[in-house]
Amino acid sequence: MVNFTVDEIRTMMDKKRNIRNMSVIAHVDHGKSTLTDSLVSKAGIIAGARAGETRFTDTRKDEQDRCITIKSTAISMFFELEEKDLVFITNPDQREKNEKGFLINLIDSPGHVDFSSEVTAALRVTDGALVVVDCVSGVCVQTETVLRQAIAERIKPILFMNKMDRALLELQLESEELYQTFQRIVENVNVIIATYSDDSGPMGEVRVDPSKGSVGFGSGLHGWAFTLKQFSEMYADKFKIDLVKLMNRLWGENFFNPQTKKWAKQKDNDNKRSFCMYVLDPIYKVFDAIMNFKKDEIDSLLKKLGVTIKHEDADKDGKALLKVVMRSWLPAGEALLQMIAIHLPSPVVAQKYRMEMLYEGPHDDEAAIGIKNCDPEAPLMMYVSKMVPTSDKGRFYAFGRVFSGKVVTGQKARIMGPNYQPGKKEDLYEKTIQRTILMMGRYVEAIEDVPSGNICGLVGVDQFLVKTGTITTFKNAHNMKVMKFSVSPVVRVAVEPKNPADLPKLVEGLKRLAKSDPMVQCINEESGEHIVAGAGELHLEICLKDLEEDHACIPIKKSDPVVSYRETVGEESDQMCLSKSPNKHNRLFMKAQPMPEGLPEDIDEGHVNPRDDFKTRARYLSDKYEYDVTEARKIWCFGPEGTGPNILVDCTKGVQYLNEIKDSVVAGFQWAAKEGVMAEENLRGVRFNIYDVTLHTDAIHRGGGQIIPTTRRCLYACLLTAQPRLMEPVYLCEIQCPEVAVGGIYGVLNRRRGHVFEESQVAGTPMFVVKAYLPVNESFGFTADLRSNTGGQAFPQCVFDHWQILPGDPCEAGSKPYVVVQETRKRKGLKEGLPDLNQYLDKL
Amino acid sequence: MANFTTDGKICIERELPVANEQHYDDIISRFDINETCQWIRDNNYGKVCLQFPDELLNVSAKIYEEIKKQIDVDLYILGDTSYASCCVDSVAAMHVESEAVIHYGHTCFSKTNIPVYTVLPKRELNVQGCMKVVASNYKIDDNVKLCLFYDEEFEHCKDDLVHHWFQLYSKSYIASVEMEDKPERFLGRTIRDKQGTIYPPDILKDCICIYIGSRGQTLFNYTISIAAAEWHLLDPESDRLEHVEETMWFKRRRYLVEKCKDANVVGILVCKLAGDQTKDIISRMKHLCKVNGKKSYIVSVGKPNVAKLANFPEIDIYVLIACPENDLYSNRDFYKPIVYPYELEVALNSNREPYFTHHVTDYDDLLPGKRHYCDIDHVKELTDVSLITGRIRETRIENNESGSQELAEKQNWALESIGSNLQDRSWKGLEQKLGETEVKKAEVGRKGIPLQYSNEPE
Repeated sequence: MVNFTVDEIRTMMDKKRNIRNMSVIAHVDHGKSTLTDSLVSKAGIIAGARAGETRFTDTRKDEQDRCITIKSTAISMFFELEEKDLVFITNPDQREKNEKGFLINLIDSPGHVDFSSEVTAALRVTDGALVVVDCVSGVCVQTETVLRQAIAERIKPILFMNKMDRALLELQLESEELYQTFQRIVENVNVIIATYSDDSGPMGEVRVDPSKGSVGFGSGLHGWAFTLKQFSEMYADKFKIDLVKLMNRLWGENFFNPQTKKWAKQKDNDNKRSFCMYVLDPIYKVFDAIMNFKKDEIDSLLKKLGVTIKHEDADKDGKALLKVVMRSWLPAGEALLQMIAIHLPSPVVAQKYRMEMLYEGPHDDEAAIGIKNCDPEAPLMMYVSKMVPTSDKGRFYAFGRVFSGKVVTGQKARIMGPNYQPGKKEDLYEKTIQRTILMMGRYVEAIEDVPSGNICGLVGVDQFLVKTGTITTFKNAHNMKVMKFSVSPVVRVAVEPKNPADLPKLVEGLKRLAKSDPMVQCINEESGEHIVAGAGELHLEICLKDLEEDHACIPIKKSDPVVSYRETVGEESDQMCLSKSPNKHNRLFMKAQPMPEGLPEDIDEGHVNPRDDFKTRARYLSDKYEYDVTEARKIWCFGPEGTGPNILVDCTKGVQYLNEIKDSVVAGFQWAAKEGVMAEENLRGVRFNIYDVTLHTDAIHRGGGQIIPTTRRCLYACLLTAQPRLMEPVYLCEIQCPEVAVGGIYGVLNRRRGHVFEESQVAGTPMFVVKAYLPVNESFGFTADLRSNTGGQAFPQCVFDHWQILPGDPCEAGSKPYVVVQETRKRKGLKEGLPDLNQYLDKL
Repeated sequence: MANFTTDGKICIERELPVANEQHYDDIISRFDINETCQWIRDNNYGKVCLQFPDELLNVSAKIYEEIKKQIDVDLYILGDTSYASCCVDSVAAMHVESEAVIHYGHTCFSKTNIPVYTVLPKRELNVQGCMKVVASNYKIDDNVKLCLFYDEEFEHCKDDLVHHWFQLYSKSYIASVEMEDKPERFLGRTIRDKQGTIYPPDILKDCICIYIGSRGQTLFNYTISIAAAEWHLLDPESDRLEHVEETMWFKRRRYLVEKCKDANVVGILVCKLAGDQTKDIISRMKHLCKVNGKKSYIVSVGKPNVAKLANFPEIDIYVLIACPENDLYSNRDFYKPIVYPYELEVALNSNREPYFTHHVTDYDDLLPGKRHYCDIDHVKELTDVSLITGRIRETRIENNESGSQELAEKQNWALESIGSNLQDRSWKGLEQKLGETEVKKAEVGRKGIPLQYSNEPE
C-alpha cells in the first residue's frame, strides 16, 4: 500500500531538520483536499491516476458524500528530494547533512467557516501552511481568516493558485489576464500577511513570492502543478542563465523580445511578458491542442515536452488526455513537495520563534528551552490539540505535537488540562501513556516513541482531558497556551432522547461529542435541558448527526435552533439602590451603568483581565475609556466565572471592615452576573459601583450569609433601575455573488433585520462581495433562503462578530425583548412575568 | 446571665400570621376527643403532649380542657414546632418526658420513635358530586384502571367514598389512609381493591390516579413519587378534573443530580430530629460521600433560610434531611442548591439506575430492608466530563491498599483542598495595621449577645 514503512518514518523522526509539519488551509471549495491527494499519491498511498478524485483525507462518509471537509485529518509522508533541489535549502537548520529524505506531516483542514476551530487546532501543531486559493474566485473571507490566524500563530505560509484548469477551460482567460489575476491574488495575500506581521519580525520574511518559488500554480483536480522553479529549470540551460536569476525574470514586470533577444522592464509592441511567454504559452498550447483535438500538434508538442504517454492512455482524448499529459509533464506532487521542503520551516527553525507564543511559563525554564531548541533529550512537552475518535466507542486518540523531549509508550507523564495552575492539583493527572501512535488518514500505526518536532496520537490520556491539554514530564512545567478560536458557539439547540429512558445514553453521548469537536459545547442547563452549542447551523447539523449516530446511538429529538442572550443595561441606575441584609444591620448602596463601547470586547479578548497588574490596568482603562484612575484601581472582580465582561468597582471612601466582606460581595456578584435579573442569562457590559456600605460592627453579623444574598438583591435592583436590555449575537456575513444577484441579497437581509455595510466588486472578476451584519437569531435557514432568492448564485459565510442590543424595552409588554424574556423564563421554569423591583430594593 | 441568653420577651411578643382562623362548635367530634381519651386510657399513659400547628393554636386550650374533663392525665400543649408542624416533634415531647403525642392538623405520616395518636383534620366533602365528576370523565370500562386518592381531611367520610367508588368502578382501587406501619404502606396510604385486599404500590403503574383534595405539597409528593400512568386532581371546590404533570420539575432534579456529582463538599443539612432512621440516613449520606471522595459536613441550623446557608460558601450542595412535605427543595433563592437524599444516592451510588421517572421523597425507603434500598457500590469510573462546568471531574477515592507514601500524599491533598478554598479568599483574618491606628484609651463596649445588644443602634 505504501512506499514507506513505519520504521522508515520513525528513523526520519529523529532527523528533526528534515521534518515539515504543515497544514493546508483555504476558503471552502477552493480545493484543499483534492490538492492534498496529489501529495498523498506521490507518497504512493493512493494510485496516481485517482489523485484528485479520492479525497483521501476526507475519512468520514459524510465528508465524502458532501464533498466537504469536516474534520482535519493528518497524514505522515516520506519523500526524497533530488540533489539539485537540495541546494535550494540554504539554512543549515532546514536539513540534516547527507539526508535527502523528508518527513512531511500534513494536516488537511476544513474550509467552511463553521469548522474553523478545526483549522485552529491544525495550525497549532504545524509550522507551515499551504494556503490554497481558487484563482477564479480569488481571496475570500475564509482565506483571510485562516491566513490571519496562521500569521498570529507564527505559521509560515506558502501559496497555491488552484483551479487553473477552470480559468483556462471555462473562463478562457487570455494569458495576460490570467497573469493579472495571479498577480492580484499574490498581492492580496501579501497585504493580509503584511497587516498581521512584518518582515522584521521573528519569522523573518513571511510574504509569498512567485519568483522565489513560494507560490505554486496548477490544478489539484487534474493533478498538475508548477512553480517558477520548474519552468526555470526547463529554460536555464537553453538560456544559459543562472536558475535563480531566471526565476526572478519569469515573474513581474519582465518582458522579452524574441526578435532582439533582449529583456525589458516595460511592455512595448514587440516584447511579451516573460511569464506569459515562457510559462503560460506552453500550457495554453497544450490545452488548445488537446481540447480542440489537433492530433498532429499533440504529438509534436508531447515530444517537445518530453512526455511519453503510456500505452493504456493512448486512446484517450479531450479532458481525459489533457489530464494525463499535464500530470506527466508537471506532476503536482513534485512541485508541492519542493515548495514544502524548501520554503516551509523545519521544527528546529520554527520552534525557536514559536516558543514564546506557545508557552505560558517563564521563557527560560527547562521546558521553554527544550521547546526552543526542539530538543528530544529535554523534558517532554506535548500539546494535545484535539481528540480523534477511535474505533472503540467512547475512546479517543489524543492528537498533538511533541514540542520537546520524547513521548514514549508506557511512560509516566503529567497530564494538565486547561485549568491547571502550577503548584495546584486541579486539572492535573499523573498517568501512564498507554500507547503512542502515528496517524495516517484512515489508518493508525503503533510506534514505540515519538521525539520532539513530530505530530502523533496518544492512547490512554483521553479520559483526563476534555478537548486539549499539555502532556509533560517536567514537574514545574506550566501549560502550553490554550488556543483561541475565531468562531464562537452561539447557535444552540436543545436535545432530548425520543425515548425518555434513553437519557443516560444521551448524556454519555454528549460527553463524547464534547470531546470529539474542538469547539462544540454540550451544556446541561439549570433547567435540566441539554444544550448543544455550535458555530453555525452546519456545524450543529454535523454535531447532532454524530451525536445520534456515533456517540449516543439513540434517536434524538432536537429543538429549533436558538441563540443565547445576554442581559445588560442601557443607562446608569436612576437612583441609588439600597438593599438591607436579612438582619437589617448591613446596608449596601450601589448603582449599575453600561460599560463604554469596546470594553466588554477588550475583556473578552483578554486585553483587560483579572490577572493584570491593577495599576497598569487602571492606566489603560483611564486612557482608553476615561475611567477615573482611582476607581479603576479598585476593580474588585470580573464576572461571571471571575473573568467575564462585567466588573464590580469599589467607589466607597473610608468604609470600615469593607475588605472583610469583599469575598462575600464578590460571591454575590458572581451569582448575579451569571444569572441576571430578567431571564437568568449572563450579564454583559455592566459596571457595578459600590458607593457606600454600612456594616454591623460585629463580624458575626456581617458574614457571608448576610452579605451574599443581599449583594445579589442589590445588584438586581441596580439592573432594574438602569434600563435593563437584552443583547443578541450578530454574525458578520460575507456573501459572494454575481452582480445580478445583489438585489436579491438585499431583500433577504432586510427581511431578517440584517444590514449591509460594505459592497464591492472583486477586482478582475464579475463577482461582488457584500458584507453585512445579521442577527444570529435571524440566520436560521438564511443560506437556503439566499440561494432561492438569487437562483443559487449567492453563498454566504457567517462568523460570529459581536453582541448587539436587541431593540426594545424588555419591561414593556409586547416588545420583542419582552417576548424573549418571557419565553426564556418559561423554558427555565421561572415565574412568568417581570421581576419586581420592590423585592430587591429596600427603603432607608 | 442576661448577657448570654436571649430575652424571652422576644418569643412571647413575636407575632405569626395565621392563615385561616376558624371557630369550631363541635370540638368533641371534630377533634376525636372521645377516641383520643380512649387511646390514652388503653395505653395507660401518664404524660401526654398535644401538638398543634399554628392555625389550630386558638382551639388548643379548649381541646386541652375537653380531654382533661374526661381523663386525668398530665397534658402539655406543644406549639411552634421546630421544623414543620406536619411532623411529630418528639424532641419537644422529650423535654417534658412525655410518653405519647397527640398530633393535630395536617400530617405527613412520617415515622417517629414515640407513640403518636393522629387526629386528622376534617372537611366536608360532597362525595356524590365528586363521583359525578369522575364518572363524566371516565366511563365504566374494564380497560381503564383507576385508583382514588383522597386528602386525609376526607378520611372521616371514607366509608361513603369507598361505597360510591366501588359502585362505579368495581375493578379499581382506592388508596386509603393507613395509620399502622405495614410493609405495603407508603406516604401514609395503602391500596385496596373492592374485596379489601392490600396491594403494593407497583400496581399503580398503569392506573390513572385521581386525587381528591387541593393542590399542594401532598399531591405534589404523590405525583412525583408514585409511578402511575397519569395523575389527576379533583378539587371539590372547582368540580373539575385537572391533569397534573411534573416533567419540568424532573428535568431540573436531574440537573441537580449532575450537580451532586460535581460537588466536592456536601453539606448534610439536618432539619429533622425524630426517629432512628434520621440517624441512619445521615450516616448513609456520610458514607456515600466518603466512598466518592467527597467531603461532607453535617449542618444543623434550625429552620434553614437563605441567609443561614449562605454562611458556608465552601459547601457546594446541601442534602436536606427533612420531612418530604417541605418546599425548600424546590426553592431557587438559595445560594447553593438543596437536594433530596434520594438524589444524592442516584448521583453517587452507581448501583442505582441513573435515570429516574419517579422520585423517592421519603428517605426512610432508602434504608436497608426498605423498598428502595440499594447497596452502595465501589466507585468504578474515576474521571468523567461534567456537562455543567465542561471540565473533567475526578473521583478521588480512598484506596485502602495504598502504601504509606500515597497515604501521605492523600493527606497532603486533603490539606491542600482545604487550603485552596481559603487561598481564594482575599480576607485572611484580622489586620493588625501596626502603627497605623492611633492609640486610644479603652472605652466601654457593647453589652449583650449579637441577637440583641443592650445598646444597639436603632
